Amino acid sequence: MIKFIFKAILRDKNRSLLPVIVVAIGVFLTIALSGYISGMLGDIVEQTARFQTGHVKVISKAYAENIDQLPNDLALLGIAKLHEELNADYPDYTWVNRIKFGGIIDVPGENDVSKGQGPAMGIAIEIFSKNSGEVKRLNLVNSLLSGKIPVKSGEVLLGYEFADKLHVKVGDELTFMGNTMNGSIAFAVFTVSGTIRFGNTAMDKGTILIDFTDAQQILDMEDGTGEILGFYKDEIFLQDHALKTAKSFNAKYANTTDEFAPIMKTLGEQNSMGRYLNIIDSITNMFVFIFIIIMSIVLWNTGLIGGLRRYQEFGIRLALGEEKGHIYKTMIYEAVLIGVIGSVIGTILGIIVTILMQTYGINISGMLKNATMMVPTVLKSKFTPQLLYIGFIPGVAAMVIGNMLAGIGIYKRETATLFKELEV
Amino acid sequence: MSEKIITTEKLFKRYPVGDGEFTALNDINLTFDKGEFSGIIGPSGSGKTTLLNILGSLDSPTEGRATVLGHPISSLSHKEAAQLRNKHIGFIFQVYNLLPVYTVFENVEFALLLQNRSASERKKEVMQALEWVGLENMANKKPSKLSGGEGQRVAIARAMVKRPDLVLADEPTANLDAKNAHAILQTMKKLNEELNTTFIFATHDEKVMGYLNRLIHLEDGKVAKDEIVTAKTV
Repeated sequence: MIKFIFKAILRDKNRSLLPVIVVAIGVFLTIALSGYISGMLGDIVEQTARFQTGHVKVISKAYAENIDQLPNDLALLGIAKLHEELNADYPDYTWVNRIKFGGIIDVPGENDVSKGQGPAMGIAIEIFSKNSGEVKRLNLVNSLLSGKIPVKSGEVLLGYEFADKLHVKVGDELTFMGNTMNGSIAFAVFTVSGTIRFGNTAMDKGTILIDFTDAQQILDMEDGTGEILGFYKDEIFLQDHALKTAKSFNAKYANTTDEFAPIMKTLGEQNSMGRYLNIIDSITNMFVFIFIIIMSIVLWNTGLIGGLRRYQEFGIRLALGEEKGHIYKTMIYEAVLIGVIGSVIGTILGIIVTILMQTYGINISGMLKNATMMVPTVLKSKFTPQLLYIGFIPGVAAMVIGNMLAGIGIYKRETATLFKELEV
Repeated sequence: MSEKIITTEKLFKRYPVGDGEFTALNDINLTFDKGEFSGIIGPSGSGKTTLLNILGSLDSPTEGRATVLGHPISSLSHKEAAQLRNKHIGFIFQVYNLLPVYTVFENVEFALLLQNRSASERKKEVMQALEWVGLENMANKKPSKLSGGEGQRVAIARAMVKRPDLVLADEPTANLDAKNAHAILQTMKKLNEELNTTFIFATHDEKVMGYLNRLIHLEDGKVAKDEIVTAKTV
């Protein structure tokens, strides 16, 4: 009988084509939009992780309490030993040092007059360390607009809008003035090695990037760092695993009263990111829920129209001695077959579009010229294994539920009433 | 002594209409013997189709008894009624009602699929049925490619393939020209004589009446006359 039903579905385009198209479109939209939302929100999370929070971050307890002020006077010291411990106990992560600092940049002009001046947000990363992966992680090579990545001490990268504002170009010198970790005046001269688009408007407008060892030297932070960031080696954040790591690390320092003892925070525990991650989950779930409701209503109607169109067929089958329950069951089998076909098509299309969007994205930098928020300038989708079933299961379920609802109308009619309506 | 396969006793069928009710069948008392080639005749609205539907277990009487092949129609469950139709009753309709997505072979086969017969058995029976109606060469055609007469012959093959005890035919020649109508009637008469299948027609077509051995005249839901007649021979 299944073979018989399948033949009819293949041959009768009216019976199969419309529901298949409806299911495929619904599944496609669910996957493409879920992927886009995950990508868009996930991009913000990942961007924040790469530039600010890491997947986990180790800082001193005192630094943690005043983290908004970037208090380098409360930085971690004795980091060589701490790195040994982290690498030994948590080999799933790559551990890198970061120092964030603030100061004033001055660009000397002719006749001792400044060509440009402005406050700068400094980030020191391990550019010269080949094992840190920081150049790749921050996508510095591809983000470079002019010049090159620093290769020796004393070289600096500038956000491209910051460079425009200061009127500097590659090869120019600039002076940094700030504070050491001990509160003394820090003073250094850098050569601009390149300008860079961070992909984040706030950073493009005021950030300088130097090597970590330069920052240690300028800020008097020998064997010290503001933060140690841990990144999963495959760069994919795993919230539950990160929480376990932090719990195990913090347990070791739970009983100390030393305010400079290290403490580990996960991405979710910083910058309200936990709430953000929950929002991503909620929005995705909401999407699936709305999809099922809308699709069920649409497919219910499609099922009803299909059912009405096939009243005559049902009548003939009743007359031939088929039971109403059997007719109802075959309608459900058909719905499963059509739902599976439509969902497979929709899933394939949705995943293709998601992967294309993941690769190329949509550039919205033109819309963010005056933005000071930390938002990515290229919005991308994100493919996750969840997308393989997030549309597929509701696609089949909506088709089956729609047909079940439509079929009940037929099933509940008295045979004779139905037979009359059939005008057989 | 002939075997009685259908009995109706004090059969009434009423439908609610507005605040009152309409009596479609009014005190019908009939018996049909095995192998009969009979017709329920009368104008539109006289109750022919309603009576045929009750005899075919598609409907049940409001009052009275109808026993078909030993089964009291009123007390049959949906499932039992479906089984009775599946195994013992064939239907032929005014419009041929073939399933358009299936071939001629598959349309006829469908009745046997519902009986869970094996593929080889189905093939043999279907080809035999198509041979009875002279369409063995059209097995792979779709209904849309058939003429009216051919379509009705497929419908007869579908009704006969399970070798039912009873065939109920509701205006089977209404959509056919005279030549095709006679051909169809001759086919049915032949099957009636060869297989001893009981045929009951609902009709007001003179051509059909000419082939019947018994005419039951219905008027306003009542049997006005029940007569044995001499029919054409095939």
